[in-house]
Amino acid sequence: MDAGFFVQLAASAAAVGVLVAIAAWAKIARPVAPLDEHRARAILAEEFPGRAVEAVWVASDGAGALAKSGGLALVVCRVGDGFAARQIPWPQAVSATFRNGRLSVDLGDIAAPRAVITLPSWPPKSFDGDLAA
Amino acid sequence: MSLPDPIHAALNPVALATPIFIVTVLAEIILARMGKIDARYEGRDTAVSLGMGLGSNVAGLLFGAISFTAVVWVWQHWRIFDIPMTAWWAWVLVFLAEDLAYYWFHRLSHERRVWWLSHVNHHSSQHYNLSTALRQTWTGALNGSWSVYLVLSLLGFPPAMVAIQKGVSLVYQYWIHTEAIRRMPAWFEAVFNTPSHHRVHHARNAVYLDKNYAGILIVWDRLFGTFQPELDAEPCRYGLVKNLATFNIVRVAFHEWIAMAQDVVRHPRHALGYIFGPPGWSHDGSRETSAMIKARAAGGGEATSTGAAEPAVSPAAAAG
Repeated sequence: MDAGFFVQLAASAAAVGVLVAIAAWAKIARPVAPLDEHRARAILAEEFPGRAVEAVWVASDGAGALAKSGGLALVVCRVGDGFAARQIPWPQAVSATFRNGRLSVDLGDIAAPRAVITLPSWPPKSFDGDLAA
Repeated sequence: MSLPDPIHAALNPVALATPIFIVTVLAEIILARMGKIDARYEGRDTAVSLGMGLGSNVAGLLFGAISFTAVVWVWQHWRIFDIPMTAWWAWVLVFLAEDLAYYWFHRLSHERRVWWLSHVNHHSSQHYNLSTALRQTWTGALNGSWSVYLVLSLLGFPPAMVAIQKGVSLVYQYWIHTEAIRRMPAWFEAVFNTPSHHRVHHARNAVYLDKNYAGILIVWDRLFGTFQPELDAEPCRYGLVKNLATFNIVRVAFHEWIAMAQDVVRHPRHALGYIFGPPGWSHDGSRETSAMIKARAAGGGEATSTGAAEPAVSPAAAAG
């Protein structure tokens, strides 16, 4: 096997480390303001066009949101300086683990395994009847 | 003077260009930091992009023999013509033939899930900068997407010649992954793939989905009806229709393989659809393909969300 390949690989790995450090130092990510309800609804409309949103719960830290849309929960979570969104059955969201003000939602997707949303309480009283749905 | 080896390439354009990749990514970051150009970098996103690029080199070492063996075997046993590596016209021909093969390889990589499995990696960043160009797949040799290039071997292009031209194409496509260059001169935009054309290709806006598959020459998209200019009224939003919610590089590399395997196991009667159908295909119509998304958007569905217009029903507990 070509020794030159490994020399280049090692040099490239070192360069990757330096570039990542410089990218982090540069602080040139997109500015992302914490979500408020207006912004959360705008993202939901973009990610789930045509879906009627009955209620939105925005994370206390503005890093995510959860909405009820019929029998579905629409989940938005911050990823770096962007967002990712998934939909899951509403009962699954209602029964998600809530501990120490953090709702941990299993999104059931290998590419989006879990969303953690900080909320004062969960599940919401007005919708927990849907748990049996 | 000895004739060039027709099987083993005497030079590797990608390896030769690697120092340029490093210097230009650094330059893009520094110039963006200084406010001189338009570029955005997020640390973990950059780490994944560059890590994928590094890993693709290792994957090539581990699995590259699969495609190399097939290419050489077809050329040795089935070639129609004997194309000399020393003729100038042969290099003009391989430039055009490889670029056309790339167009179809790339188009099929978007339109069939079995090939999208690997190519999805390149599109998984929500950023569009020079590091995104280096976000390369680890599994391209495993799903047979390279088989399009066997046509070139069949025609008689020596494997070394094709390998060099593929490298040239990859290096060309590096510089177009940037927001720092808005438009090239009109004549250039008409003929060549450019940052503007390729931003469209990386965008997840409905109007931009499955467009601009070109490698070097954008004329293939114009010819085959897949060209879409960048619209000032529709700023590009980058990434996947369903963006990743993780920076775990192993998940980034293999998520679509695992998702397809799960679909096949759960719905074995529909396995062929889940493997060879377009990305987003489902047996019960519960998911959306690009064609469905574009049709919905064209029908106006995307512009209106009843949810956005409704009054908020935010329990006090939900106030952010």
